[in-house]
Amino acid sequence: MNDPLPEDLLHAYVDGRLDAQRRAEVEACLQRDPLQAQRVADWKRDAERLRALFADTRADASAAAWQPGRLRRRLRRRRRLWLAAAAAWLLALGLGGTAGWFWREQRLAAERLPMADAVAAYRLFAGAGLPMEFDPPRRAALQAWLHAQFGAAGDVPDLEPHGFRLQGGRALSTPEGAAALLVYEDPAGTRIALYLRPRTRQTLAGERRDGRLLAQYWAEGDTAFALVGPATQTPLHRIAPLLQGAG
Amino acid sequence: MDESDEERLRALLPRLRRFARSLAGDDGADDLLQSALERALRRWDSRREDGDLQAWLFAIVYRRFVDEYQRAARWQRVRALFGLQQETAAPSAERIHGSRALLAEFRRLPHEQRALLLLISVEGLSYAEAAAALGLPVGTVMSRLSRARERLRRLGEGTTPGTPALRALP
Repeated sequence: MNDPLPEDLLHAYVDGRLDAQRRAEVEACLQRDPLQAQRVADWKRDAERLRALFADTRADASAAAWQPGRLRRRLRRRRRLWLAAAAAWLLALGLGGTAGWFWREQRLAAERLPMADAVAAYRLFAGAGLPMEFDPPRRAALQAWLHAQFGAAGDVPDLEPHGFRLQGGRALSTPEGAAALLVYEDPAGTRIALYLRPRTRQTLAGERRDGRLLAQYWAEGDTAFALVGPATQTPLHRIAPLLQGAG
Repeated sequence: MDESDEERLRALLPRLRRFARSLAGDDGADDLLQSALERALRRWDSRREDGDLQAWLFAIVYRRFVDEYQRAARWQRVRALFGLQQETAAPSAERIHGSRALLAEFRRLPHEQRALLLLISVEGLSYAEAAAALGLPVGTVMSRLSRARERLRRLGEGTTPGTPALRALP
């Protein structure tokens, strides 16, 4: 008996991929091997039935829906829709982000007390009794520096009519630019200070208590002012409006 | 994509649809074909010019089907995990006759075998072309073809009792 035929050859036979001579050889072998012949016959039958089964779908795929032009239009439309959706998302994100940023700014502004730096400078330098870098004999140099920084707003006010003598001044640096603290003292040793620096967007006029200190603040032109002193000092209320007029 | 490309694609549409139908059934065939054709159009320009258009298109349909099939299977597992739905058994043992019986048998084959049988027996692709379309080595195509034909044959034996055990070759 011959060796069984290789499967590949049987498939090629079923699929009609053999030339006449090879086909005859395969058929000769199959006649000597009924089991194998049955297998191959069943394969052929199944293939034919499959062809018959799917033959009825030959015609109906020319449907207009599958035409390339139409498919391409649909693709373009979908791409446009997608782009529109993406744009809407971006817009929503952008609006949300902007709104969030504004809200944050507002919150920060609310947390940042107005002219807190003035009160801090008073505590550090005026309250501690430190010698000033511009003492009264150097008043001219102080005035020149202030004019250079703040222009006309940098005039050192004379508070002697109100009982306070200039003790000196100190140049400071803030995120907004140069600042100055001018310290005055009355005969009882009470110190008040005038603080100047470039104004910021949130600088408003008003006053507030900070511990035992009272700060009154306002802005003129590009300069923000604060008058700081012990909250018990009623002259502060008198002096601040005068300074606002004079600035 | 120029006029002649479009013409060739149009000529292949009936066969592509038949292939889609053999994989996804009557209900899923149109969706499958549409998503495959859209992918083909999007990738038309990146296609290798010398490659076989027919095998390339069959490959896209098949790839699309397998992706969708795997996604559906994953989803099915997720649903099973949460007890949403039991895996539905195929309506297998129905005794239906004629072409519907064959179709039922054919549907019970794994999709790899279905795709291969359709490309070779119905579409008449060569073994090399079928291998290209399915992304397989030719050797794998041959062994899979043997398994597919044997399985379909055995399924057929159950539903067509009239077949004689031995038959003369035509």
